[in-house]
Amino acid sequence: MFKSLKLSFSATLVASVAAGAISSVTYAQEYNIGASASAQEIAGWDIDIRPDGMGLPVGSGNAVDGEETYETFCASCHGVFGEGEGRWPVLTGGEGTLAEERPVKTVGSYWPYASTLFDYIRRAMPFTAPMSLDDQQVYDITAYVLYMNDIIEEDFELSNENLAQVSMPNEDGFFVDDRPDVSNPRCMVDCADPEKMMLQSSLAGVTPIGHFVEGADAPASSHSGQHDLEASKEADRKASITGEEIVAPVAKKAVAMSAAAIAGEATYKAACGVCHTNGLAGAPKVSDAGAWTQRLQQGTDLLITHALEGYAGNAGYMPAKGGRADLSDEAVTNAVLFMVESQH
Amino acid sequence: MTTPSTQQLMQTMQGASEHLSVSDRREFLRRGMSYVAGAAAVGGTTIASAASLTSNLPPNEPQWGRQLGTGVVENPYGLPSRHEAQVVRRTVPWLTAESISSISMSPIQDLKGIITPNGLVFERYHAGVPDINPDEHRLMIHGLVDNPLIFTMEDLMRFPSVSQIKFIECPANGGMEWRGPQMEALQFTHGMLSCCEWTGVPLKVLLDAAGLQTEGKWILAEGADGAHMSRSIPIEKVLDDTLVVYAQNGEMLRPEQGYPLRLLNPGWEGNTSIKWLRRIEVGDKPWHHREETSKYTDLMADGRARRFTFVQECNSVITSPCPENPILRKGFIEVEGLAWTGRGTIKGVDVSFDGGVSWRPAKLKGLVLDKALTRFSFTTQWQGEPWLIQSRAYDETGYVQPTLAQLREQRGVNSIYHKNSIHTWQVAPTGEVKNVQIT
Repeated sequence: MFKSLKLSFSATLVASVAAGAISSVTYAQEYNIGASASAQEIAGWDIDIRPDGMGLPVGSGNAVDGEETYETFCASCHGVFGEGEGRWPVLTGGEGTLAEERPVKTVGSYWPYASTLFDYIRRAMPFTAPMSLDDQQVYDITAYVLYMNDIIEEDFELSNENLAQVSMPNEDGFFVDDRPDVSNPRCMVDCADPEKMMLQSSLAGVTPIGHFVEGADAPASSHSGQHDLEASKEADRKASITGEEIVAPVAKKAVAMSAAAIAGEATYKAACGVCHTNGLAGAPKVSDAGAWTQRLQQGTDLLITHALEGYAGNAGYMPAKGGRADLSDEAVTNAVLFMVESQH
Repeated sequence: MTTPSTQQLMQTMQGASEHLSVSDRREFLRRGMSYVAGAAAVGGTTIASAASLTSNLPPNEPQWGRQLGTGVVENPYGLPSRHEAQVVRRTVPWLTAESISSISMSPIQDLKGIITPNGLVFERYHAGVPDINPDEHRLMIHGLVDNPLIFTMEDLMRFPSVSQIKFIECPANGGMEWRGPQMEALQFTHGMLSCCEWTGVPLKVLLDAAGLQTEGKWILAEGADGAHMSRSIPIEKVLDDTLVVYAQNGEMLRPEQGYPLRLLNPGWEGNTSIKWLRRIEVGDKPWHHREETSKYTDLMADGRARRFTFVQECNSVITSPCPENPILRKGFIEVEGLAWTGRGTIKGVDVSFDGGVSWRPAKLKGLVLDKALTRFSFTTQWQGEPWLIQSRAYDETGYVQPTLAQLREQRGVNSIYHKNSIHTWQVAPTGEVKNVQIT
């Protein structure tokens, strides 16, 4: 795997090595392993930012420019107002809720430092294409999220000079671990009063417990299974209102896919599935045949064009190549064919 | 009569078994499974007779004794028996938005001893499992060091290696139950927990090679995956026992465990053991990154939050009986479980059968190692009496695993992380086991 050096010893060579070995073997303390990291190598990977501003690249941005960038790269998961879609993180609101029964932890209500926002966006966002934004875009989005949380003004020019001075509402809301914070004596008898003990049972129906049945597994013990389960619950709910009978989905006949569609499955899984499995941002779910009927009538070419160039309309929103600019046109086209042919 | 499909049979059986007790149900399903197998094997028009169910039992010579099996390297990388197919990692899908940034739990209800097999170690990652070519993977060490260094995997494997058995636990293990019990199975209440023999190099050795400067008080560890997961670790921990590991349980790391290289902070919350490790920067202050501010901080009842809550405090749970392992027969029973502490070794475990009114010492069995899973055992008789069974571990520091009431009183119910309270199983007279909380 890592080894490419092939060693072979002849008998005489072994003998001569053995003769010299006795005097030459020492216990090495000085390893001298590894190469010097060049300034250029370090600069390429040294992406971290600290609250004191260490690591910030020279540059600036503002919320006015950040709005469009945010809507392009962030809103499909985090919501247009930072309110969060589905189970994706909420970015705004929640002020004053931290001591309430259901606290809402957001950038504005919880995060102690603005630097964390720049650092995280740069290292991990957007979810489907990390490290794809340039510094200008990261400054703009950071400014826009801070603006949505009423932390900076819309026209404030956020820069490497002033980001460390941006004060966050909950900066003083943290303290360093002070555990152990409880002390339980090792009592052996009469440790509790049985008369006062109350028993609370588990909620029913939220655990994926298919493994209790031998040879079976719960339909909900996978993320796709969860969506199927939610869909079937929704169908039951509607049926109970309308009185319609539930029609069991007819098992699809297996149809052979084209070579291009088969090749597209890997791209679909790595890039497209995040939205097209769960229906994020109005994306038609691959498992939802109804969502595809009208789209298929428009022709596959148009779907490919939308996938390559992006689409924004009433039905939903999709950035060009789903935000994955690194993908080739062919890879995206194949992935579209995979989704289309999955409907057959 | 037409042959019912396997699926139809399964549905019929499940329906018919719903009113049965757990033990009855297990027996019923076991018989039913044989029906299915028998019917499939003969492929005839009638369901196989009951006689075929016992054809492999004495005095008959079993089928596998009358034929040849598969040869060597049929599976070049061996797999478990197909009869163990239910022993798998599972997830709770409603916990997270996406499987790419999610968690799966180890089936600790099915595991023996203290080592978690590599394919069953719980998974947690934030941008999926990267496919890393080890020849193109590097570890960079820079910041407050005299000589910034960059290592290939071959370089790292030239250093003298160490192998240590350590548990790794997500601090959110059990975190779904701060407000009340809601998981009906051990795998989901405690499965964010695994224990392996890890092989690698102490990070101290690498920092010595780079020339650690005295101003260096913290390190930032960073992954090479799409999340570029990053955590600040105080230098005291690093110089104490932090490892850079490339192998687990005798083979190279699994991709989902950080192949080809990960950090291991023994006894500390799993998130600090950065996977796909590519960079260590030494600094004089912590970085306060997303996973140590927005996440992995513990919100208290007053709205303030603890940060840098690194250590996994002493904890334990009974793994048999448990909801997945009901008591099937009266008479002798070994009550077994796991105990662990991030503060060193487990000193002892007590068990209670009456919900914590009285306690009796259990026996520790097998290896009792620093920051490793430790197995405990209590042998007794069960005659169908209802039990509220609990385990309570204590460690070498004298810390005793607390009750949930004590934790709630101190922290409230919103901290998500670090819930290490005494766990209760309710054993019914049928042998069925349920997850409950005592308040």
